[in-house]
Amino acid sequence: MGEFIVRRLLLMIPTLIIVSSIAFFVIQAPPGDFVSAHAARLEERGQDVDRAVLEAMRARYGLDQPIHVQYFRWVRNMLRGDLGVSFDWNAPVTAVIARRIPNSILISLVSFLYVYIVAIPIGMLSAVRQYSLADYFFTFVAFIGLGIPNFLFALVVLWLVFSATGSVMIGLFSTEYVDAAWSWSRLLDMARHIWIPALIVGTEGTAKIVRVMRANLLDELQKPYVMVARAKGLPQARVNYKYPFRIAVNPVVSTIGWTLPSLVTGEMLVSLVLGLPTLAPVFFRSLQMQDMYLAGGIVFVLTFLTLIGTLVSDILLGWIDPRIRFSSM
Amino acid sequence: MTDNGNVLTVRNLKTHFFSREGTLKAIDGVDFELKPGEVLGIAGESGCGKSVTAQSILRILPKHGRTVDGEVLLSRNGAAVDLLTLDEEGPEIRRIRGKEIAMIFQEPMTSFSPVHTIGNQIIESIRLHNRGLSKREARARAIDMLHRVGMPNPASTIDEYPFNLSGGMRQRAMIAMALSCGPRVLIADEPTTAVDVTIQAQVLELLKELQGQLGMAVIMITHDLGVIAELADRVLIMYLGKGVEFGTVEQIFHNPLHPYTRGLLASIPKLTRGREVIEPIQGTVPSPYDPLTGCPFNPRCAHRMAGVCDLEMPEVVEVEEGHRVACHLYPKDAQT
Repeated sequence: MGEFIVRRLLLMIPTLIIVSSIAFFVIQAPPGDFVSAHAARLEERGQDVDRAVLEAMRARYGLDQPIHVQYFRWVRNMLRGDLGVSFDWNAPVTAVIARRIPNSILISLVSFLYVYIVAIPIGMLSAVRQYSLADYFFTFVAFIGLGIPNFLFALVVLWLVFSATGSVMIGLFSTEYVDAAWSWSRLLDMARHIWIPALIVGTEGTAKIVRVMRANLLDELQKPYVMVARAKGLPQARVNYKYPFRIAVNPVVSTIGWTLPSLVTGEMLVSLVLGLPTLAPVFFRSLQMQDMYLAGGIVFVLTFLTLIGTLVSDILLGWIDPRIRFSSM
Repeated sequence: MTDNGNVLTVRNLKTHFFSREGTLKAIDGVDFELKPGEVLGIAGESGCGKSVTAQSILRILPKHGRTVDGEVLLSRNGAAVDLLTLDEEGPEIRRIRGKEIAMIFQEPMTSFSPVHTIGNQIIESIRLHNRGLSKREARARAIDMLHRVGMPNPASTIDEYPFNLSGGMRQRAMIAMALSCGPRVLIADEPTTAVDVTIQAQVLELLKELQGQLGMAVIMITHDLGVIAELADRVLIMYLGKGVEFGTVEQIFHNPLHPYTRGLLASIPKLTRGREVIEPIQGTVPSPYDPLTGCPFNPRCAHRMAGVCDLEMPEVVEVEEGHRVACHLYPKDAQT
């Protein structure tokens, strides 16, 4: 197991290298750079733009260098923990990300828990009581959840909450807690707000996992070992719990790998709609402003977190499934 | 109710499967009795209802199956209890499953859970039926059982996962699990079908040996008449969900009465008579969904009597002592 983890960690290095180069070049792809975008904005406001000043800015940020030189300098600094400077915020990228990322992680984590805690029991119920009223109900709800785009769902939820309570549930905190220091009451306040984005972000994933869980369990319930367990004299509930439930959960654990990235992107979209103080608005703005080091840094950090999440899901899978533990580790 | 000296008596068993396509009469009248310590072979083609018979006895039918008629009498201290009247999920039938009637299944690979060790699954059965036993004692008994079925290094093999064992070893583990609670009746549902030919002989030898040692009654379900000839004391021949002939192994092999039984015996290649033509039974098994009038075998039967066989279901007739057949060639009024 230890060897497996080390090998997986080492494999993350080439992945990160590839991702960093792709991220860098994609962000560089639009014509112009931060300085030209900056100049255009100044001109719009009718201010004079001094070419010499612009060139000086380019030289200071290294934007006059060929693109591969810029890339290698970026990577070299990254190894030292320096993700560069955000032109737009006029601050180190790491500081900008550090301020926002806990909120992003928290929303993703809460929606992640919501997805699996809700989806697994519902999927089980749907399979054990196949074609029952409950099964049809949850199947219907799941398809609705799959069909509605996140942003639309977010708007609908906002409207529903507003018409029911009269308060606009935008943001992660009530106004008095926005800039307050962390305390129990701030945490409670956040819990009151976070369920909305978590619900919206998690619904699509929940719907998917319900379907996966139901299909897996329907398969497993027909396996001979279930009949063998009944032939031993075990009560039905214990048969289900110990064998088919347990085995049907394995593929669901492997879905963590693809659920995590979709939760992260889902969180982005929903945060933009709900105006949450997460990485999403910062990322969106950095792309508009061609604030390349900030955009690249965010892509890199998100990729890194996703890789860690996938690794954790693989370790979990190996831990609960001996077939994987013995074959590939 | 008395048990007439039988450990298990099955009367007029009917199990049907209900689905959108219609009602499938998987078993439509099966009768047999099993004496303590004897081996009963149930033979017939695939799909004739052999396995469903076993599952009906233990009341472990798949979702859409239901036993609609009949009696399954298990003798207990001289009295008989009808298993079909018990609550399917109740504690009484669960005490019988695994403890008094145990079952060996066809597929040793898929019959064990892939994510639990075989020891876990055997010990579970032992502890379920022996409440007073500690974990350690149950483990010791499981190891002893594995030893008895000829498992190499039982003390370490017990902690293996099924996928680490060969097909033959898995089937041995399956047998150990079935026998771990000392059942009076063992149902072996095609225990050799899914293993290699060389292993088949070993498994049969082992079952024969254990049956001799432990003295339990065995229902051996197979499509292989060779296995029947080797092991069985009595034989039930099934065709399309019905028991068509029942008798001792001598009666069935030396004096087969039903045209289907004769056809089965004629279709076995023999080495003794040099090259001979194997006689297959003509036609195919009709779909059990299509309601067939008369004898189920009549469309394929060489002795078919038009106007009789295709109209009326033949009654079961005892032609000689302990030898029963359901065929119009042996009319009920002819004997007496």
